[in-house]
Amino acid sequence: MTAQHYSALLTTAATALVLGSNVLAADNPALARQGKILGTSAVSSISGAGGGGLIPWATIGSYADVGQRGGSVFRTRVDVDDYQLDVMGGLLGFGNRVEVSYARQDFQIKAASLRVQQDKVGIKVRVLGDIIFEQAPQISVGMERGSLRDKGLARAVGAKHTAGTDYTVSAAKVWLNGIGNRTTLLNINMRYGEANQFGILGYGGDDPDGKWTGEIAASVFLTRGLVAGVEYRQKPDNLSALREDNARDIFLAWFPNKYTSLTAAWVDLGEIAGARNQRGWYLSAQLGF
Amino acid sequence: MSVNLTKHRLILMPVLALALLTACSNTPSPPATLYDELGGQAVITELADNFIMEIAYDERVLPRFADSSVDRFREKIIEHFCWIADGPCIYTGDSMVQVHAGMQINSAEFNAVVEDLIAAMDKTGIALGTQNKLLDRLARLRPEIMGI
Repeated sequence: MTAQHYSALLTTAATALVLGSNVLAADNPALARQGKILGTSAVSSISGAGGGGLIPWATIGSYADVGQRGGSVFRTRVDVDDYQLDVMGGLLGFGNRVEVSYARQDFQIKAASLRVQQDKVGIKVRVLGDIIFEQAPQISVGMERGSLRDKGLARAVGAKHTAGTDYTVSAAKVWLNGIGNRTTLLNINMRYGEANQFGILGYGGDDPDGKWTGEIAASVFLTRGLVAGVEYRQKPDNLSALREDNARDIFLAWFPNKYTSLTAAWVDLGEIAGARNQRGWYLSAQLGF
Repeated sequence: MSVNLTKHRLILMPVLALALLTACSNTPSPPATLYDELGGQAVITELADNFIMEIAYDERVLPRFADSSVDRFREKIIEHFCWIADGPCIYTGDSMVQVHAGMQINSAEFNAVVEDLIAAMDKTGIALGTQNKLLDRLARLRPEIMGI
């Protein structure tokens, strides 16, 4: 990540820190933290950005509401037939308005004992709406910058770059009384970028331009703290040599309290670097403060 | 001996209709209103009492009720729940705007009261689907409660 990116990120975070400074604590310390409703922190995606497992959502991470600050850390493992992905990272949430996130991805090719590590840094801003309490959806815009530590594989498969930025626009809505009279969520993303397999296989390929891709998540709160859902993520498929399929998952996320969440999912990542039908499981644990 | 349906349709049609009507009257009809679904006045009264208890033990919101009369609040909230659930009540309290004007209720406080209501509904034994129907109606009042 360039110095320019770092300073922009730090400036935004510092501004958010000041703006989100705790005006409520002076009045009532009990209102200082975790003002959002259970489950609305969502979880941490594999890029570190808050939302689902495979895709970020329009939600802002942590339970910090207006005038509050919060954050979370997470650990995820994805295990499919020929690959494994370990991710760890965290995010900070400011006033349910700004989210900054980080993830370290560790991708392993089982057969070759080959590792590819990548850093992901993200920032997301809620620009409009409230996901629960307004008729219109909540809209957020985000940026995810990925930078490969291990560049060999990306170069070998013909990627143009070993670092890249994705831009996302997300819209999400929660219906308190939704499907089957259960609280229901729908999230749609539009993403502009050129990451190959989430950036693991580098950025860009034969096509010089970035691509628009779509992502969708739908979930139902079976109980106040148990959410079942699905996600679908379109992929840019830039490398002519290696087909890239769209990814999807079916998940179950448990929020026993505002400090913890556990997510389990079945994932289908399709073809990765020539190996087809990469399916398996996803497990993630998140601790919040 | 085969039955000639065309010949016997004059008898068959009323017999079928009667059978269907009888079947319908034996199955319970769905509740007419959310008020009925909740369980009527008794449940709404219990809900109000549980709600007041949750608020009383919630440090996040109790200070806001310092100047409220518990008896008046109880009476009016019962009327309000009943009315909003399409029950046979008239709400005689102040409007949500009148009640909350000048308080500058923020998002965290509003959510805290939602959580207290959910806890009260759980305690009262209201089914999750019914809870969500009531929450959905009450949530629409948020602009009349917050930030004014």
